Amino acid sequence: MQASLHELAQLILNGVITGTILALTGVGASLVFGIHRVANFAHGEYLTFGAYMGLVFNSGLGQNLAVSALGAVGATALLALAVHLLVLKPLRGRGLVAMSLITVGIGLMLRNVVFMVAGPQIRQYDIDQSAVFDLALVRISPGQAVAIAITVVVAPAMALFLARTPLGKSMRAVADNRDLAAVSGIDVDRIGAYVWMLAGGLAGLGGIMFAAVQGAFDPNLGFEILFLIFTTVVLGGIGSAYGALVAGLVLGLVMELSTWSGLAGGLEARFKPILAFVALIGLLLYRPQGLFGRARVL
Amino acid sequence: MSAVLLEVERLSRSFGGVAALDEASFAVDEGSITALIGPNGAGKTTAFNVISGFLKPDAGAIRFAGRRIEGLRGDLVARAGLVRAFQAPRVLTRMSVLDNMLLAGKDQPGERLSLNWLAPRRVAVRELEVHRRALDLLELVRLLPLAEAYAGTLSGGQRKLLELGRALMVEPRMILLDEPMAGVAPVLAEQLVEHIRRLRAERGVTFCVIEHDMDVVMSISDRVIVMDEGRVIAEGPPDAIQRDERVIEAYLGRFAPASAP
Amino acid sequence: MDFLNPAFWTFVAIIAGIYAVFSLGLYVQFSLAGLPNFGHVAFMAVAAYTMAILVVRYAVPMPLAAGAGLVGAILLALVLGIPTVRLRADYLAIATVAGGEIIRYLAMNLPDLTGGPIGSIGLLGPGQIALYNGDWLAFLDRLAGNLSGVVGTRVSRDAAAAILVWLLAGLLVLVLWRCERSPWGRVLKAIREDEDAVTAVGKNVFAFKMQALILGAVLAGVAGLLLALQIGVFSPEDYQPTLTFYAYLIVILGGMNRLLAIPVGAVVFSLLYSGTRLLNFFPLSLIDSGSRAFLRLFLVGFLLVLLMAVRPQGMLGNRRELLLEK
Repeated sequence: MQASLHELAQLILNGVITGTILALTGVGASLVFGIHRVANFAHGEYLTFGAYMGLVFNSGLGQNLAVSALGAVGATALLALAVHLLVLKPLRGRGLVAMSLITVGIGLMLRNVVFMVAGPQIRQYDIDQSAVFDLALVRISPGQAVAIAITVVVAPAMALFLARTPLGKSMRAVADNRDLAAVSGIDVDRIGAYVWMLAGGLAGLGGIMFAAVQGAFDPNLGFEILFLIFTTVVLGGIGSAYGALVAGLVLGLVMELSTWSGLAGGLEARFKPILAFVALIGLLLYRPQGLFGRARVL
Repeated sequence: MSAVLLEVERLSRSFGGVAALDEASFAVDEGSITALIGPNGAGKTTAFNVISGFLKPDAGAIRFAGRRIEGLRGDLVARAGLVRAFQAPRVLTRMSVLDNMLLAGKDQPGERLSLNWLAPRRVAVRELEVHRRALDLLELVRLLPLAEAYAGTLSGGQRKLLELGRALMVEPRMILLDEPMAGVAPVLAEQLVEHIRRLRAERGVTFCVIEHDMDVVMSISDRVIVMDEGRVIAEGPPDAIQRDERVIEAYLGRFAPASAP
Repeated sequence: MDFLNPAFWTFVAIIAGIYAVFSLGLYVQFSLAGLPNFGHVAFMAVAAYTMAILVVRYAVPMPLAAGAGLVGAILLALVLGIPTVRLRADYLAIATVAGGEIIRYLAMNLPDLTGGPIGSIGLLGPGQIALYNGDWLAFLDRLAGNLSGVVGTRVSRDAAAAILVWLLAGLLVLVLWRCERSPWGRVLKAIREDEDAVTAVGKNVFAFKMQALILGAVLAGVAGLLLALQIGVFSPEDYQPTLTFYAYLIVILGGMNRLLAIPVGAVVFSLLYSGTRLLNFFPLSLIDSGSRAFLRLFLVGFLLVLLMAVRPQGMLGNRRELLLEK
């Protein structure tokens, strides 16, 4: 019984951590999808970029992780903005498939620049990977501690930002109904640019968190998590920031808890992504508006 | 004595809590030209969408030639002989007028991929038949000179004629026309009316027409069905409907000066 | 490998032919039926793995195993297609990417079934080397021998393979050309523009799309089998998701809906791709050969963006007939 409780607590913790990464990243991706109608296949690479920028600040410039995280967030936000202004905005209106292919191309470019510049070898941050914090029911690695610290600060800040600030509210309005927002006097273009910066920043943050939690990472980091991000976005409802927050947590928890031995032995850990995939297909088929999205005319 | 060809019984359909169709019931006789009228939002197009299989009903029954068709997929309804045209004509603009017609040909073995290779002669023979029928029908709707033109170059009225021709390719017993005169130049509108009359007289095609132009309604329909707020509020011959109080109220009632406190 | 080494170019020719077949499959799904399948490579992988497993573990004769591989591709098309074919374009792209990823993920994580990350060589378990293409190589040798007799000079095994692959590609182009011009192709063309209009004239849109998906899957399966047979051993890396986008690049290079341009596109693509191996002058010499692979992929991404931006109708396409989006 004790063992099972430990296991359960650990799984819940892992689930919350994974869930927060998905949630924060998902908020950005969902807003972008809602405002720009672009399924950003390069989004995973923004996470990768963030993780590696973190490395630059951390290992390269000797900064601690907090500063590195800030640096990574800023750098990724700028990258996202640049891509938006230079590529996506001028090419808007080419159609859903064309834009998707363009984002695939951008993703390929980004990933391979990282490969070329940083090399394919596995990397780590400058934290003591072997340390383990034993907290009664659960054990936490330093990476997880970092992720938790970030979560505790950023998640409420993000929720507050979206709920209370004019900018946050404008973003949600445009993501929900672009035309209505435009008619209400919101500068949709400017908000659109800010949303890309936000999405980029959150992706960069998600990348650092993911890299810290995993302990070791390589340039494939983002690509491997891409369709989990898509699942989060669809589950939460495209364009719904709150939806993505909830959906990310739900997805993270469900994936981790599915391996609990208390559930008739539990799912084998390696099949977790399959759960997410099945969820994605199921959602797209039966409830494409997800949990909180409006049933749009598709 | 003409039999009932289409029978709609207590058809209901809601969108997000709003009832577009509220137990609507009506019948269309075979060989008739029946008009479906009513103020905006009465549920006429929704009725067409549900009847033709493009929307599923929440409740109710639809019988076509005695057969239950509610909930049936759109293409199956068309193949059963009940063909619809759209309010805004939907022709394939990137294909030629002739190709638009050929597309609609019925029972083409060539549409089964394997048969193109296993039974090429059968495919070719049927293609020839379909081709001939297409040309005949194009001549009927007087679009033959435009057969090779891209359908995208056609005017609104011409597109409606093409849609009519295309509907005829499917060998329908009944055609649903949704505001056929809307946005059509008067000359072409007259042609459309004439086509409808002739098709009924010579080929026995039944028509159910949503129409706002009262002159057209009065002149071509045998029978008029009036809808309001998802329900059928009156049916009968055109002149009776014109005088029916309920109909007048439905169209005007909301704007009439308050006669009672 | 030297610029002038014929063996190198023969190899490029074979790969180009395989990519041509692969892209023809994508053409059917994307250009004919308007289905943006972003997980096309999964059909290749399923066919290859099915064939290899049957040959190596159950000693099934190659022709039968190859046939089973194609059946596997068809089954995947059904499983993937039935839920997703009705989806809106970008949702379809996401769903198919996810589907493809799952296949790759399964291949990597079920070592008992697929040999895991090591690939086909591990199909008989650790310590044993599994090979499946003995019959194929023998067949190629015989073919090469016959051709040598006919042509007069010695035809290498690889040259025979190249000829075979390109004959197949040519045949498939002719077949698809006819399919495109058939009533079946006509319905698909109409579906691309307006599904409701097609339904209104009595055609089952879903069925047509599924047929296109399945046909494309079979072609991808053929390409996957050929690739597996040629390289002798494969791993999930050989069927990585990027391959799907090589096919998109090839289809786009030739003009989105120009069937005949696909072989040309495949050749151009393969030349560009393999060519970067050979270019040893500055500034490319700054990048070591290991990183060249990443440079190649970078260029693929770059070309994808460039072509979609500047010339979505490709090199040979007709802008007026462009059927890009819904």
